[in-house]
Amino acid sequence: MGIKVVKRHGGTFLEKMYLHAVFGGMKTTLKHFTTNLSDASNIPTICYPEEMPRDITPRYRGVHRLTHRKEDNSIACVACFMCATACPANCIDIVAIAREDNVDEKMPQRFNIDLLECVFCGYCVEACPCDAIRMDSGIFSVIGDKREDFIYNKEKLLSIKGISKEEYSLAK
Amino acid sequence: MNTILILLPLVLTILFSLATVPILVWMERRIAALIQDRLGPNRCNINGIRLGGIIQSVADMMKLVLKEEFLPSHIKNKFYYLVAPSIAFMSAFLTFMVIPYADNVTINDKTYYMQALPTDLGVLWFLAFAGLGVYGIILGGWASHNKYAILGAMRATAQVIGYEVAMGLSLVSMLITYGTINLNEMVIYQSQSFFIIPAWGIVLQPVATIIFIITAFAETNRAPFDAAEGESEIVAGYHTEYGAMKFGLFFVAEYIAMAASGALIVTIFLGGYQLPYLSTTELINNFELVLWLIIAFATVTSLMFLKWVKKHNILAMSGLNETKVYTTIIIGFTIFAIIVMSYYALGLGEASKIGVMLLQFAVFTVKLFFLHFVFIWVRWTLPRFRYDQTQKLGWNILLPLSLANIFITAIVVVGVNYGN
Repeated sequence: MGIKVVKRHGGTFLEKMYLHAVFGGMKTTLKHFTTNLSDASNIPTICYPEEMPRDITPRYRGVHRLTHRKEDNSIACVACFMCATACPANCIDIVAIAREDNVDEKMPQRFNIDLLECVFCGYCVEACPCDAIRMDSGIFSVIGDKREDFIYNKEKLLSIKGISKEEYSLAK
Repeated sequence: MNTILILLPLVLTILFSLATVPILVWMERRIAALIQDRLGPNRCNINGIRLGGIIQSVADMMKLVLKEEFLPSHIKNKFYYLVAPSIAFMSAFLTFMVIPYADNVTINDKTYYMQALPTDLGVLWFLAFAGLGVYGIILGGWASHNKYAILGAMRATAQVIGYEVAMGLSLVSMLITYGTINLNEMVIYQSQSFFIIPAWGIVLQPVATIIFIITAFAETNRAPFDAAEGESEIVAGYHTEYGAMKFGLFFVAEYIAMAASGALIVTIFLGGYQLPYLSTTELINNFELVLWLIIAFATVTSLMFLKWVKKHNILAMSGLNETKVYTTIIIGFTIFAIIVMSYYALGLGEASKIGVMLLQFAVFTVKLFFLHFVFIWVRWTLPRFRYDQTQKLGWNILLPLSLANIFITAIVVVGVNYGN
C-alpha cells in the first residue's frame, strides 16, 4: 500500500477569486430550479391526503388482517395463542371455542387487536403457524373518533383485503 | 390627472416596499423549495384559491400581527427596546424614496418626476439611510440585554462599517463614469449604446458592479453575510428577545432593505427603467409598434402560463375550481388589455407619454424582481461566511479593489475627455 497523495484545492488564483466557484454553485441550483419549475412531477414530495404513497409494498407492515382458508373460505386461525404470546405489546386478545364443522379443532370466538397498543413489530405474523394473521394490508393510517374505534375485532380483521398476490392462507 | 401623477411615485414606493413583502416571502419559500427539490407552501387557501401559495404569507403576516405583544421583564429601557425595530423598518422604507420608476413626464409644459423624492442627492440619500438601518439593529441588540443579541448586533455593526466603505467607493467610480449624482440622469445616461451593447453600468464597470452587489448583500444582512443572525451560533442574533410584530418589523425591514438595494442596483447598473437600445423619446415616437409588440407578447405569455397552470395544478382543493378561475381571469384580462391597447394604438396623442411611463414601470418591476430572484438564489446556494472571513473579504479585498477601480476609472475618464 503506497501513500495516496490527495490533491489540495484552493491554491490557484482562480480558486482564490471565489467567484468562479460561486457561479458554478449558482449554475447547479439554477438547473434544479428550472427543471423543477418546468416539470414539477420530478419532485419527490407527495401531496399526502390527495396523493398516496407510491412505495407501499406487500412487505410493508400495515394494519393486520386475518386470512381465510382456500377450501371453504372460513377463518384460518386455529386459536393457538402463539401470536398473543409473541406480542411484546400485549395487544392481542383471543378467546377460543371448539370448532363444530370438522374442518379443525379450534377457532377464535373473539380476536381483538388494540391498534393503540400495537407497535407494528410483526412478531405475531412470524409466530403464526397457520399463516392466519398477516400485515400485508398496506393500510398505514388508522383513524378513529374514540378509543373503541381502534380495537379491531374478528369480523373487521377478516374483512380487510391484502395487497399481496396470496389472498388465502398458505398453510397446509 | 395632476394629483394622480404627483401621487403616483409615492404610491409606487409604498407598493414596491410594503406590498411586495408577502410576495418576496412567498418567492423566498417557493424558490428555496424548488432549488432543494421540494414543493414549498401550497395549501393555504381562501375558498379554494391559493394563488400558488401567496395566501400562506398573508396568513403568516396575520399571525404576527395578532400575536400577543409581550415585553421580557428583564428589559430596563423599554423605549429603546421598542423603538429599535421601528428605526430598522423606517430607514429601510425611506431608502426607497429616491428610486426613479420611470422617466420624467412632461404634459402641458409641466414636468412630473417619477421619483417619490425628486432630489439631486439620490445616491447620498440611499447611502445615508442604508447605513442608518444598522442603528435599529444595534439598538435592538443592546436594549435586549441579552448576550446573543449583543453579539449579533456587534457582528452586524462591524460588517456594515467594513462594507459601507467598499460600497461607497464602488459608487464613486460609477459617479465618475456617469458624471452625475442624480439617479434619473444616471438612468438616462444608460440609454446610450456602447459600441453595439447598451451602455449599462454592468457593461461599463463590471468590477464596480460585482463589488456593489457583494456589499449590498452584506449591507442588508442577507446570506451569505447573515452572520448577525447566525442561528447555529448565537440563537437568532439581534432579534432573539423580540416577538410578535416587533420581530415582524425586523423581518419586513430585511425584505424592504433587500428590495431597496435591488432597486438601486437596477437603477445604477442594470439600466433602470430603460429597455435596451430604446430611449424614452424613441419609445414615445414609435409607441404604436411597441404596443402591438406588447399585445403579441402578452398573448403568448398568458397562453404559455395557462398551459403551465393546467399541467401543474392537478390536485383540486375544495371550494372554487382554481384552474377555471385563473383561466377566466387571465383570458379576460388579456382581452381587456388588448382592447385598451389597440384603442390607444389607433388613436395616439398625449396618451403615448403615459403609455411609455407605464411600460417603464413594468420594465423596472421586471428587472427588480429579477434582482430579488438573484438575492434569493444566492441565499439558497452559498453557505454563510465565517465572521473573520467576512471581515477579511471586506477590508483586504473589496476595499483595495474598489480604490484601484476608482483610479483606473478616473484615468480613463480623464483620458477620454482630454482626447475629445
